[in-house]
Amino acid sequence: MPSQIVTLTVNGSPQELIAHPSTTLLRALRENLGLTGTKRGCAQGACGTCTVLLDGEPVVSCLVPVVTVDGAEVTTVEGLADADGGLSPLQQAFLDNFAQQCGFCTPGMLMTSCALLRRTPAPTRDEVDEGLSGNVCRCTGYEPIVAAVLDAAGRTSAEVGS
Amino acid sequence: MAPINPRVNPIDHDYFPHERRGSFSVIGSTVQRADAHGHVTGRTRFFEDTAPRGLLHLKVHRTTRHHARINSVDVTAARQVPGVVAVLTHEDVPNNWYTVLRLIGIEPDDEPVLAEDRVLYRGEPIVAVVAETEEAAWDGAGRVVVDYTDLPAVLDVEEALAPGAPVIKQAGTNYFVYEGHHCRRVRFGDVEAGFAAADHVFSWTYGSAPIEHAPTETTGCIVVPQGDGRLRIHSNTQAAFFTLDNTALIIGRPFADLQVVGGTVGGGFGGKVDVMVEPLACIAATVTNRPVQYSYSREEEMQVSSPRAAERIVITDGVLDDGSIVARKVVLYVDAGAYSRHSPYGTTKAAAHFPGPYTIPHVHIDAHCVYTNRTPSSAMRGFGVTIGDFALESQMDRIARELDMDPLELRLKNAYRDGDVKAHRKVASGTGLIEVIQRAADLVGHELAAESRLLSSTTPREG
Amino acid sequence: MLTAVLVPESLDAARAALADEARPLAGGTYLMPRLNDHATPPTRLVSLRRVGLDGIAVTADTVSIGATTTLARIEDDERLAVLHSCIRSIAARPVRTLATVAGNLFVRQPYGDLAVALLALGADVEIRGGAGPRTLPLDRMLSAGLAADELVTGVRFDRPAVFRYHKAGRRRFNSASIVTVAAVLSVADGVVHDARVALGGLAPRPLRCEPAERALVGRPLDEASVRAAAHAADPLIEPVDDAYASAWYRRRVFPVHLRRALLGH
Ligand SMILES: Cc1cc2nc3c(=O)[nH]c(=O)nc-3n(C[C@H](O)[C@H](O)[C@H](O)COP(=O)(O)OP(=O)(O)OC[C@H]3O[C@@H](n4cnc5c(N)ncnc54)[C@H](O)[C@@H]3O)c2cc1C
Ligand code: FES
Ligand code: FES
Repeated sequence: MPSQIVTLTVNGSPQELIAHPSTTLLRALRENLGLTGTKRGCAQGACGTCTVLLDGEPVVSCLVPVVTVDGAEVTTVEGLADADGGLSPLQQAFLDNFAQQCGFCTPGMLMTSCALLRRTPAPTRDEVDEGLSGNVCRCTGYEPIVAAVLDAAGRTSAEVGS
Repeated sequence: MAPINPRVNPIDHDYFPHERRGSFSVIGSTVQRADAHGHVTGRTRFFEDTAPRGLLHLKVHRTTRHHARINSVDVTAARQVPGVVAVLTHEDVPNNWYTVLRLIGIEPDDEPVLAEDRVLYRGEPIVAVVAETEEAAWDGAGRVVVDYTDLPAVLDVEEALAPGAPVIKQAGTNYFVYEGHHCRRVRFGDVEAGFAAADHVFSWTYGSAPIEHAPTETTGCIVVPQGDGRLRIHSNTQAAFFTLDNTALIIGRPFADLQVVGGTVGGGFGGKVDVMVEPLACIAATVTNRPVQYSYSREEEMQVSSPRAAERIVITDGVLDDGSIVARKVVLYVDAGAYSRHSPYGTTKAAAHFPGPYTIPHVHIDAHCVYTNRTPSSAMRGFGVTIGDFALESQMDRIARELDMDPLELRLKNAYRDGDVKAHRKVASGTGLIEVIQRAADLVGHELAAESRLLSSTTPREG
Repeated sequence: MLTAVLVPESLDAARAALADEARPLAGGTYLMPRLNDHATPPTRLVSLRRVGLDGIAVTADTVSIGATTTLARIEDDERLAVLHSCIRSIAARPVRTLATVAGNLFVRQPYGDLAVALLALGADVEIRGGAGPRTLPLDRMLSAGLAADELVTGVRFDRPAVFRYHKAGRRRFNSASIVTVAAVLSVADGVVHDARVALGGLAPRPLRCEPAERALVGRPLDEASVRAAAHAADPLIEPVDDAYASAWYRRRVFPVHLRRALLGH
């Protein structure tokens, strides 16, 4: 079973890892690089808990054999906060709106929302519903998560405006 | 200024002003969750975030039959898969038979950790394969060959109780035996006399399908052998000590040999109290002297983790023209599936919950905990109560419709009050139902009759 | 078990790799869920990610889309607005960022919504095999399939005058299809001159429905002609039970969704 060296830039820093054919991006992040913030909820592409940004776009990392994305840039939940640990406006909005209960869906929700707000900085409620439709939360009933994303959009535009 | 959270409701001070003492600095105000910062930074450690060196993976071979005798099990091909380090059958489980509620005296031990000579539901585990990688473990599990003789399957609760039904349980009955009785019973007053005195008798049947919790994090654990010979269990169980005790009994070791590291659960909803993964992972860790992970795939979580039981409920009520319910008979069938797990307890809870928050002089309840060849059901948010409430409140609405009465007035008329004696002979206290209905009516702008407004749960019932 | 994932850098290298008992892997959003967490026979995959088959070319009359173009890329391209309602009906953004056009032509129903749209659009499929390139109407490719050493390299269709797409799922966003309807119509002087109708969720493959088309042509586009079209389609459809809907339900609601697709209500 041939293993391969894969190079990634993860949250801004260069990383090298040894991958088997069956090593998905999700497993590479969690098992090879110890970045366990990204979660496995289904390994079927269906729950969104494993969402990360791959070259700036959100992907379900459980469906990506890591050897196919050698050289890519990856952002995970660990890369959202400032270098000094300050929370991003999106993370802060998740805190303030109680957008988590068990917290298992939270990293994926954050990454999908982060990508959504980059594409659509001032989304409508409907756009948030649609944008988050690939991420399952079994605890909250989604309302506080949608509120957090809308709140974050408001905060970011206020920041830009001031 | 921090935004005011619109989800915080102020405390309603209108009712029971004398019941409250103290200043309530937390209730009614916004307090950040202690674990939220970890959640939004990805630093919360769930069990699977433990990554001990040399971790092995365990996967099981599950039956594809609903009910069958096992003639033979061949694990030769599984052992030959590169990377497979151990293959476990029931012979490797020190005390293979258990039932989780034995900790509170429930008998008999009706479920094997790994099947022996028969399987009772599709998905029942037969062989565990331990390997260097998840892929090798899946591959090994896929190569186990089992030869079966199919047996007739019982898939419906009433069929299971019918005379002549195939008996699927080794204890000899397709139902759980409650202190010598075929069901959990409540008898209060004389229900037949109540029906005879009633102006109307209404009888309707309610049914529900099994409901899967589908937590975003699947059931699983990682067991790490310690230098002193103990086993450390990183688990997402909702019941750490329950898991510890049951696991110790199954693997035949003192409780003190096990340590459970838990408390962080990626969604449970009652679905993570059944002690399904820890015993095998502990045995595998002991046999290999290496850390072992046993997690359900999403497919396993959906197919074999215990759902909320399917229930069938027949409610027969004797009612006077004015809406007073004078007799209520409930027959409940809880589909426990193939094994007990928490269902005998859930069924008792259901029996205790009927006839609902109403004061009824004649009550007769038969709550059957029935075994079928379906996935064993177990705990889920208010199990034994939730489906019963759906049935009870549907019944109340239907009675109101039949009598052309306001459904809230019907409930207020029958609502229990402090001091009433309930069907299971407890004196009701702190009821509050009348006030809740009155306030709910206000909130939705629903008119109530003047005399209903005057009712209070602390006013003693006349007569 | 995955025994190899090859990542060739050209189409020729990819085809050479395929010759060695391997399967093409595009976005992986269909294949990978079937490989993860399952015991599977040894499997070799050839990733198409780097073979250079992605790209969109739009002229006044035609649209060409490379095989490995992702659904997200189509979604972001304003020139392809005609496909946007279809694309947004497929999965959610983190899946669409991976999922490709060609992959959608090979997935089992009730997936394959883009294939349904492309069928209505009369798309041609460009194929590369040992004997050189060839082009097949999508309809033919869906029924005949490809040889083991062939790859889809792209799809091409004429820009339609009027394109209708409607998908009914279990929820508003991100559900597999219960019924999918796509249609290209030309209507002049209040009469349908030309119609191409394709259906999803109603047969083992995306279905081009000529009897429904004949029932529409030469008649005004109204309740009566759409009802006639649904009636004409009925003998052709063979829906199945799955986790999303029963066969009975699909057949029962199909006329409603055909009406919503064609009349908008
Ligand atoms: C959560 C979820 C929801 C989904 N919802 C939908 C939905 O609503 N509608 C829908 O239509 N689909 C849906 N899908 C299925 C899938 O995402 C799409 O159909 C997608 O377009 C498949 O493309 P892919 O590139 O990912 O295919 P892959 O998985 O890479 O490949 C699929 C098949 O196509 C073959 N193949 C791929 N490219 C080529 C080529 N160039 N030449 C020859 N053969 C090729 C592969 O060998 C494989 O057999 C969903 C998937 C997930 C995980
Ligand atoms: S784990 Fe990747 S989508 Fe569920
Ligand atoms: S907070 Fe538990 S799944 Fe979303």
